[in-house]
Amino acid sequence: MRSYVQGPASVDESSQLPLWRRAETMDLVYVGYGLLVVALVLASYLLGALGWLPHDPQAMNVGLINAAPFTPGHLLGTDFLGRDLQARLILGIQAYFLPGLLAITISVVAGSVLGILAGYRGGWSDTIITYFDNLLDSFPRLVLILLVIASFKPDIYYVMVVVGITGMPVIANLIAGKIAFLRQTNFIEAAHALGLPAHTVILKHILWFNCRAALVIQATLGMAEAILVETSLSYLGFGVQEPTPSWGNMVQAGANYFLQGNFWPSTAPALAILATILGFQLLGDGLNNLLEGKRGK
Amino acid sequence: MKFAAVRPVSRVLARELAVTALLLLGVSAVVFAILYLAPGDPLNVLLEGQSPRSELALGMREALGVPRTWYGQYAAWFGKMLQGNFGNSIRTGLPVLPELARVGVNTLYLTLGSLALTLLIAVPIAVHTAAHGDTAGNTAATIGAYILSAVPVFWFGYIVVYVFIHKFGMFPLISGTATKQAQAWLYFLVPIFVLGTASGTLSEVIRHLREELSRVLAEDYIRTARAKGAPVWRHAFKEGFLIPVTEIVSAKIPFLLGGAVIVEQVFNWPGMGRMAWQAAQDRDYPVIMGIALVAAAFVRFGNLLQRVVFTAVNPRASKE
Amino acid sequence: MDAPLLAIENLRTYFYSRARRALIRSVDGVSLHVAPGETLGIVGESGSGKSVTALSAAGLVSAAPGVIGGRIELRSRQARRNLLDGLERYVRVKERDGRIMAVEKDDRGWRRRAETLMKGVRGKEIAMIFQNPRSALNPYSTIGAQLVETIRLHTSVKGEGEARERAIQWLERVRIDSPRLRFDNFPFGMSGGMCQRAMIAMALSAEPSLLIADEPTTGLDATIQSRIVDLLAQLKIETGITTLLISHDISVIQRLADRIAVMYGGTVVETGRAAEVLAPQAQLRHPYTAALLASVPSAEAIRRKSYLQAIEGEVLDTIDVPRGCRFYGRCNRVTEAIRENCASLEPPLGEVAPGHKVRCWLYPASGKA
Repeated sequence: MRSYVQGPASVDESSQLPLWRRAETMDLVYVGYGLLVVALVLASYLLGALGWLPHDPQAMNVGLINAAPFTPGHLLGTDFLGRDLQARLILGIQAYFLPGLLAITISVVAGSVLGILAGYRGGWSDTIITYFDNLLDSFPRLVLILLVIASFKPDIYYVMVVVGITGMPVIANLIAGKIAFLRQTNFIEAAHALGLPAHTVILKHILWFNCRAALVIQATLGMAEAILVETSLSYLGFGVQEPTPSWGNMVQAGANYFLQGNFWPSTAPALAILATILGFQLLGDGLNNLLEGKRGK
Repeated sequence: MKFAAVRPVSRVLARELAVTALLLLGVSAVVFAILYLAPGDPLNVLLEGQSPRSELALGMREALGVPRTWYGQYAAWFGKMLQGNFGNSIRTGLPVLPELARVGVNTLYLTLGSLALTLLIAVPIAVHTAAHGDTAGNTAATIGAYILSAVPVFWFGYIVVYVFIHKFGMFPLISGTATKQAQAWLYFLVPIFVLGTASGTLSEVIRHLREELSRVLAEDYIRTARAKGAPVWRHAFKEGFLIPVTEIVSAKIPFLLGGAVIVEQVFNWPGMGRMAWQAAQDRDYPVIMGIALVAAAFVRFGNLLQRVVFTAVNPRASKE
Repeated sequence: MDAPLLAIENLRTYFYSRARRALIRSVDGVSLHVAPGETLGIVGESGSGKSVTALSAAGLVSAAPGVIGGRIELRSRQARRNLLDGLERYVRVKERDGRIMAVEKDDRGWRRRAETLMKGVRGKEIAMIFQNPRSALNPYSTIGAQLVETIRLHTSVKGEGEARERAIQWLERVRIDSPRLRFDNFPFGMSGGMCQRAMIAMALSAEPSLLIADEPTTGLDATIQSRIVDLLAQLKIETGITTLLISHDISVIQRLADRIAVMYGGTVVETGRAAEVLAPQAQLRHPYTAALLASVPSAEAIRRKSYLQAIEGEVLDTIDVPRGCRFYGRCNRVTEAIRENCASLEPPLGEVAPGHKVRCWLYPASGKA
């Protein structure tokens, strides 16, 4: 049984209903959770950057190793050296926050440029950019990153440049697709007919009016990717090195005690990864459903 | 309904093959560029020269048969690869290609197995949600898929290992020699299970298939099929199932290969991923270079297969 | 009049607008009868509910809640049943002061029930053709394969080769040139008119009792439209098939229909024999029908160089259905004597002449009906 309830007084102007009233509940839940995660990450990053931590993240306490959460003095327990997990989790955000932003910036800016070239100019630039997209899509990203690490050095900023470059095709395709759609509706021709210069059309009418929501969504999803890569690499031992904390190397360090039954030291950072990546993904997908109306009708 | 008569598929196929060849050439160029730009002159080692970059050294290298210009070096390097010479591993001194072939099979088992598992889970969920719309159960399945896709693979691996040790008394999974047949099978299946469930692949397969299938189910021609009393799945199969599944599978191959690096590391699985990790540790670039090329070749091959299916199924493909 | 082949009684098909939190009363109490061999034309503006009526009859409404009440009686040689039998067990409508507050429907349960009721009916007894034929044919399958599928599903012809011959015969009957070549064509290589011919062939190849043609000329070029109408007229003579024809184009209806139902705002406002309803000098007619006819260019109007009349106002929004006559807001024939009635009471469908019914307060006869 599903019920369809008549509203109190039927509203005439559907488009004037605020977005959140037209939306599906699940999408609002997604976006709400995502925004919560973003706020937490941002606040934690600032705390870590300013050094306002609940505990010294490097202070060892050999008498209190692998402590459970809610141990007095250590809200989230301690790791195998008795270091405070809460402080290390907060500090661990430093490992991916700025590098992640770098990766997003590269893919959004360069991807937009490529997308505009492909969509707006068309012809040869379109062919070349499609080729370039397929080329980048050919490499498993982690393998490409390992190649760069082996050839250059294990530096997170080098890695994030690779992540940014491999993230370009998605955005380029998205923008090119939007432009193709706008062309179908004669939007671009109309803008030209009005005598608007090309850069105004591209920057204002195409990018700003028609692509900004999509770009924000892609940037959000891009952050989830960056976090995934950073934590994976730190786990593999190529990212941030002990004793500097990263969620990835915390999982790795705790893993030695995992099979003995000490879940917590590696589970805490793993849950942080899970919750954060989930947050960025749900934010992206939720926004996509809300703003771009992806879910059919 | 019969499969449509054979159309000029061969021409499209030739074109796709040419595109694939062109892309593989590009792949080699990207790898070459990374090696060329890298400090420490890795190309020098690959091309069997002995000295660092300097005018004097360049002269000596030319004497040794190493070309001076970058395109000369590329040609030399490419020529060697065509002969199957990917160089020797710096760590072991063994030729790279036979080693890759030996461990590549293991990675193939891992990735294909987990792909099968992903499809086994994803397809029923996607078909169900597309056919019946969003009900509470479907929402739960969707959220479950989201969570699984965000679980860090490495940590999920430990959980599974732990469960197997304590619930099934299996030990030692990670390092040991499995004696019993059943244990050998589990030793084999657990990594497949982990890679198949805890990677972004699962949720993306579900999402892509569901979106495409529900789009197709709303098409006019599906309404026609219903109006004439024909089974809907028969008409929706090609565009709503076959094409999206091959699309998403081919698009997810690189991600599976990337995930294999981590899963093989967690489970000590003797495959290409673990080899890549070891090579990156040792800065053994002949090995990692070979892996990158082989992986890219896998990806292109999967893509080629997808194009073949698409061309064979879609009557418009051979005309466009 | 013979016992009708299809009798729709008080059909109600509603949709739910999530954005407006309101029920759209797309079809709101429609009753229609189609006698064997007859063509009933339903005419009305877009949004009047005529297509939804047709889709409801074929059980093809997919949006929710869909059909929530009424009877659809099919009495053909093979099948006699109410296609909405037992619907009331799956639907609960909550009303207050004559206003519908909520609808509850066990959609899945009803869908399962409807499928069993429709077994052997859809495609076999009731065949359909649609608008935009190029998207209505399966682009992944040849015209021939789609015809053969229908023939093997619904007729005694089960063999592959035999069905193929039958399909080619049908392609000939709908005047497709070189049918043997067209048999292996995919829809994308064919023109819209050709696709519609194939569509008609496919519908008729099942040898149905009733053909529902839902805007068969919409989405085609103007010259092609008249060819398709010619074809339908010819096939009507050849096969004598009972047809429910839906169109917003009065000229199409005029050519093909024996009887007409004019729909407005989800209800039938006038019904009767085509000649009577469309007669140029008819006095007894619903103001909406009059306005509709005045908006169509006729040879005479062109000769007199008179202006075409647009219908003032906007098509009724079937969410905010007024208490009184649905056409009241746009009607130009309201007199002071009946204004109160028009504004507050929905007029019944009253008989103004034998077999000719009008839903309007202008005609006192309607009061008695």
